[in-house]
Amino acid sequence: MKSAPYPIIDLDLGIPLDRHRVTVKPEWIDWNGHMNVGYYVVAFDQATDTLCQQIGCGWEYTREKIGMTFVLEAHVTYDREVKQHDALRITTQILDYDSKRIHYLHAMYHADEGYLAATNELMLMNIDYQSRRSAPWPEFAMERLEKLAVAHATIARPVQAGRIIGIKKKK
Amino acid sequence: MPDSLPLDSLPYDLPELVTNAPLDVHRSTVMPEWVDWNGHMNVAFYVTAFDQASGAFMRNMGLGRRYVDGKLGMTFVLETHVTYDREMREGSPMRFTTQLLARDAKKVHLFHEMYHAEQGYLAATNETIVMNIDYASRRSAPWPVPVAERLETIWQAHKPLPKPAKAGRVMGLSKRA
Repeated sequence: MKSAPYPIIDLDLGIPLDRHRVTVKPEWIDWNGHMNVGYYVVAFDQATDTLCQQIGCGWEYTREKIGMTFVLEAHVTYDREVKQHDALRITTQILDYDSKRIHYLHAMYHADEGYLAATNELMLMNIDYQSRRSAPWPEFAMERLEKLAVAHATIARPVQAGRIIGIKKKK
Repeated sequence: MPDSLPLDSLPYDLPELVTNAPLDVHRSTVMPEWVDWNGHMNVAFYVTAFDQASGAFMRNMGLGRRYVDGKLGMTFVLETHVTYDREMREGSPMRFTTQLLARDAKKVHLFHEMYHAEQGYLAATNETIVMNIDYASRRSAPWPVPVAERLETIWQAHKPLPKPAKAGRVMGLSKRA
């Protein structure tokens, strides 16, 4: 598909992508008095929507029954607690991509205090709406994805990318 | 900062210890509010569902809600890795198994598998590190003594299990999807 049958927002070539803002909702808090592990991923998944809007594959893409994007794999580091009503800022760096997938990393910061709260490394795949199977990105998306990836490749790879989970031996 | 001392005892009765390996007790159902515009369980709620399976493992260790409500301690997740293997629809019954991969004085390294409870397929896996936290300081602390004892018994039961194929994954595009 050469062009999308709906308007796409202007491409943001800021490095990294730094558009997503969200506030910790009361229902995201658990009995430990902080944002629950699942809701970090809710917040990150909304930042994925912000990334997908950049390539023209946001809500309209599914609404128009063209396609969907499915997450294949996710890795989260929980670096610091965030509390109810905290303002969050999420940045996104594309690490790699191919004809069907994007590998990227979100970093969540406390918007006022500036500290890193969490990171989320993800593998996202394009899905054909009818078959619900993987499919190449439409041309309009691929064109934008390439521009974003080239821009994002000019900054250092985040240290949290490519981590293996494990308990470190005693220091 | 020196570690706080472990609690010697817990002021509530501990449940009967389950030493079956892997632990196969947690069951759940995909809630309507967990479903997204793609018509399946959203990625975040897989993590919520797995977190509840971690809760079941913690209860078997002797922790859980009473541990927090009694202001004794909490458990925090440090890191988590999910593989999304198949879609789950609203109302689908889930069965979870949990293998203890490693443990130390303050942490456990768990590997959960989520199955569709009726159709039997693997829907997702979750590898996670959970740490014990002192309630007052909100800093890491050693497991309470009775919990450490139960954990050691659980570890002896889980230790002989082979490492799951999806444990220890590094994400990347090098391999074909």
